Amino acid sequence: MLSYIIRRLLLLPIILIGVTFLIFSAFSLLSPMERLANYITNPGALKNPQMVERLITKYHLDDPFPLGYIHWIGKIIKGDLGWSQSANQPVWEAIKQRFPATLELVLYSIIPVILIGIWLGVISAVHHNDMLDQTIRVTAIIGWSLPTFIFGLFVLFIFYGILGWLPPGRLSVWAQDIVYTGNNFHSYTRLITIDALLNGNIPIFLDALRHLIAPIITLSYISWAFLLRITRSSMLETLRKDYVRTARAKGVDEHTVIHLHAQKNAMIPVMTIAGMMIIGMLGGVVITETVFTYPGLGFWAASSAQQLDYGSVISFALLFAVAMVVGNLIVDISYALIDPRVRLE
Amino acid sequence: MINNRKLLLEVKDLKTYFFTENGIVKAVDGVDFEVYQGETLGIVGESGCGKSVTAFSILRLLDYPGKTVGGEVIFKGENLLKKTEDEMREIRGKEIAMIFQEPMTALNPVLTVGFQISEALMMHFKISKEEAKKKSVELLKKVGIPIPEQRVNEYPHQLSGGMRQRAMIAMAMSCDPILLIADEPTTALDVTIQAQILDLMMALLQEFNGSLIMITHDLGVIAEIADRIAIMYAGKVVEYTDKKTIFHNPLHPYTLGLLTSIPRLDVEMKRLNVIPGIVPNPLHFPSGCKFNPRCRFATDRCKKEEPSLIKIKEGHLVRCWNVDKVVKEVKKGFLVGV
Amino acid sequence: MNRILRKLFSNASSLVGIVLLFIFIIIAILAPVIAPPLSEDPYQIPRMSWDIAPQSPGFLMSDDIRDIYTVMGIEIKWNKAICGTAEGGYDIFYGLIWGTRTAFRIGLITVAIAALVGVFIGSISAYFGGWIDEIIMRITDIFLSFPFLVAAMVLTTILGRGLDKVMIALIVFGWMGYARLIRGSILSAKEETYVMAAKALGVKDIKIIWKHLLPNTIFPVMVQGTMNIGSMVITAAALSFLGVGAPVGYADWGQMVSFARNWIIGSPGHAGQYWFAVFYPGIFIVLFVLAWNLIGDTLRDILDPRLRGEL
Repeated sequence: MLSYIIRRLLLLPIILIGVTFLIFSAFSLLSPMERLANYITNPGALKNPQMVERLITKYHLDDPFPLGYIHWIGKIIKGDLGWSQSANQPVWEAIKQRFPATLELVLYSIIPVILIGIWLGVISAVHHNDMLDQTIRVTAIIGWSLPTFIFGLFVLFIFYGILGWLPPGRLSVWAQDIVYTGNNFHSYTRLITIDALLNGNIPIFLDALRHLIAPIITLSYISWAFLLRITRSSMLETLRKDYVRTARAKGVDEHTVIHLHAQKNAMIPVMTIAGMMIIGMLGGVVITETVFTYPGLGFWAASSAQQLDYGSVISFALLFAVAMVVGNLIVDISYALIDPRVRLE
Repeated sequence: MINNRKLLLEVKDLKTYFFTENGIVKAVDGVDFEVYQGETLGIVGESGCGKSVTAFSILRLLDYPGKTVGGEVIFKGENLLKKTEDEMREIRGKEIAMIFQEPMTALNPVLTVGFQISEALMMHFKISKEEAKKKSVELLKKVGIPIPEQRVNEYPHQLSGGMRQRAMIAMAMSCDPILLIADEPTTALDVTIQAQILDLMMALLQEFNGSLIMITHDLGVIAEIADRIAIMYAGKVVEYTDKKTIFHNPLHPYTLGLLTSIPRLDVEMKRLNVIPGIVPNPLHFPSGCKFNPRCRFATDRCKKEEPSLIKIKEGHLVRCWNVDKVVKEVKKGFLVGV
Repeated sequence: MNRILRKLFSNASSLVGIVLLFIFIIIAILAPVIAPPLSEDPYQIPRMSWDIAPQSPGFLMSDDIRDIYTVMGIEIKWNKAICGTAEGGYDIFYGLIWGTRTAFRIGLITVAIAALVGVFIGSISAYFGGWIDEIIMRITDIFLSFPFLVAAMVLTTILGRGLDKVMIALIVFGWMGYARLIRGSILSAKEETYVMAAKALGVKDIKIIWKHLLPNTIFPVMVQGTMNIGSMVITAAALSFLGVGAPVGYADWGQMVSFARNWIIGSPGHAGQYWFAVFYPGIFIVLFVLAWNLIGDTLRDILDPRLRGEL
């Protein structure tokens, strides 16, 4: 196992370099002037052509590719992601501000995704091909046929447009007053539901929750449908294995056969894919937050793309990619820990 | 009763069919045999003749789309085919146990060897985990695995092929079953280990006078340990008698073919004797006797009418119209020294 | 092959998928008949009015627009917005019909090219092994490190708006699945004795890949491709929805939904009065993707047990 983990860790810098290289290549497709916008805080400066030329040289935007990459990477490593035109603040600040909202949304969404996806996937496999399985499968297929934005709009339409129960955004105006001005409210984690509980403020807790429900439903639907599909096929394959027959031949009760003997094996490949899928939810976050005007990273990503704020677009690409690479590493390492065949060699 | 031994298992006209999308596969189509306490029955046949399916049918471990559609399996006087699933679970592992051909795939890779042995004990005898683990260590020792205290916490992939099969035997024998069904247990092992495994199985069974159904295609193994032998072909028993008779006075052409195809060192042979043709496709069985296309004694009657299993002599049943022709062949002296 | 077709038709869910797909094919083929274009570029949705707000189904072309067409000498073959108009007066029905062609174009082209690229890269990687395999797999990992939608977003932002740019983005980040798939199949098939036999007989490498390995390993790719047509169309629609895909007024279902977010709630007192702006394009997207997914899912079930030993 140790050699496996070391090998994975050694790959990490290589992948990160590759990722940053790819991003920089995409960035370089733009003209130096377009890229310049990321480096300056005052767009007015772009009106003066001499100033523009000076700045381009200063920031190495005209350098040959390898040099340009090195300068850019140097800047990034120092934590300087430039200026976000759409947010009117440094990119890093923009990210820091919007991160907790997205984190809260994703954390809450993971729970139904895993519970429903795996639970239904196992049931579906055990009842292979009978009515229950067919029903679950059809629901799941509809799930991953529904684009997130259509489903989200639909949820918004029904639960807000018609029923008025679940409003968009993150907090109602009255709650925003309290939370953001710190009036009797201390933000410990910046996850509003948790902070509300820590402050003993139930109305705010409920308000935050109310705003979270619709985005959570939207964000998780596609994910649990996907998880269900892979759980189902993994379970189906495992249930056909010889060792399942051996367990039955010993007289083990069916419940233990399914949930211990089969599931423990079936879950190994599922867990690795599930790990990646959770990180992949970052893509769904962009759409979900846009539909519900939820002020997180996704919403910012979408608006910067619309406004052609290249600097921000590149930055969030970098952010999401790094998150995926690190997440991938964690998933791979936990795989090594879970599967005894890898753990003990 | 034979030789004052009790009748333990009686299989009567067992039929198991597989209802596939391409048609009905009659994997087991009327199999009869008996197993007495303390004896070993060998079931011999080529791949695909239905011997494994017979074993699975006895314990009712068939996977979809297989179903047992007829016959009786009388164990200790009761028909297993009529029992509920709960009742079967009481019997599996405790009274009838089974070991399989490929120990690497038959053992669960993510559970320790010790747990897999303890499981049966804990379930059938309601003992604690610690007690079961102790017993597991003893069992591992009994089947000849060195350093059992360490092995009990290891996973199957950490053991060698022979050790894994021993562990499987330990698992199967843990509850002292009165009947052990072994489905080609030595086929995946080296010849030297084969002998050890066979000896081990026999020794364990002798301890409490247990019986063994040994399923194999290897006549050498059968010659070692079987008391009575059932030869299977295309889902039916074609010859059924004791070991000595099978090897010295076989009556079925297929048995004759199997015996003469064994290469011999004492007689000069220019070519190996083979049984011409191949095992029939279970979806398209020939009419009449299923062996007739490959049988050199086949007559018109064989092509039209399927023979039933007839008692030729006391303790010797054969399914063939031309037994007399086989007798003549044997008399010619093909089977010297077997 | 016949067996597979037969099974597809006998399974309830895939049959539904096939029927749906068939309907879409008919719509796409008959588009010029069902919704005759009113300008040179048939993919430009005609406007029925200058109003910003969507107009209800049954809306008739406003006079000033009709005058413009008359002045330009264009025959007005129809003038009723059967499904209403989207923001900016674009006729929804027209968009739905011609959007079908767009959807097929996006789905089939991106999947075909991505699959070709992926299969090519994956085959090379698997067949030659060694450090070639390592490098190619690392490159694949790097591309896979980007969430699909985010990557497509970045690329389309940089490349500019337009459906062709969207397709490029989808292909650039869509080939990896196929590469891995074919690589896995080839790696296990490589160990098969029949390949070693061919090699021992001196058959050239390329020929081995082409004649022996590919035919047996191509089925999972086909299944994957079928299921991916749906997700490609969804991602393209999502990009248009976010405002970085097809340009305004283009006959693309996603584009038609893009402004709908603002209208979905309706005005005070008339909740959901603009439902049609989202519902019609939405239902077309869902049914189109559902059709492919139903077929692909059943295809996977049919081919799965086969892959386990009979092929």
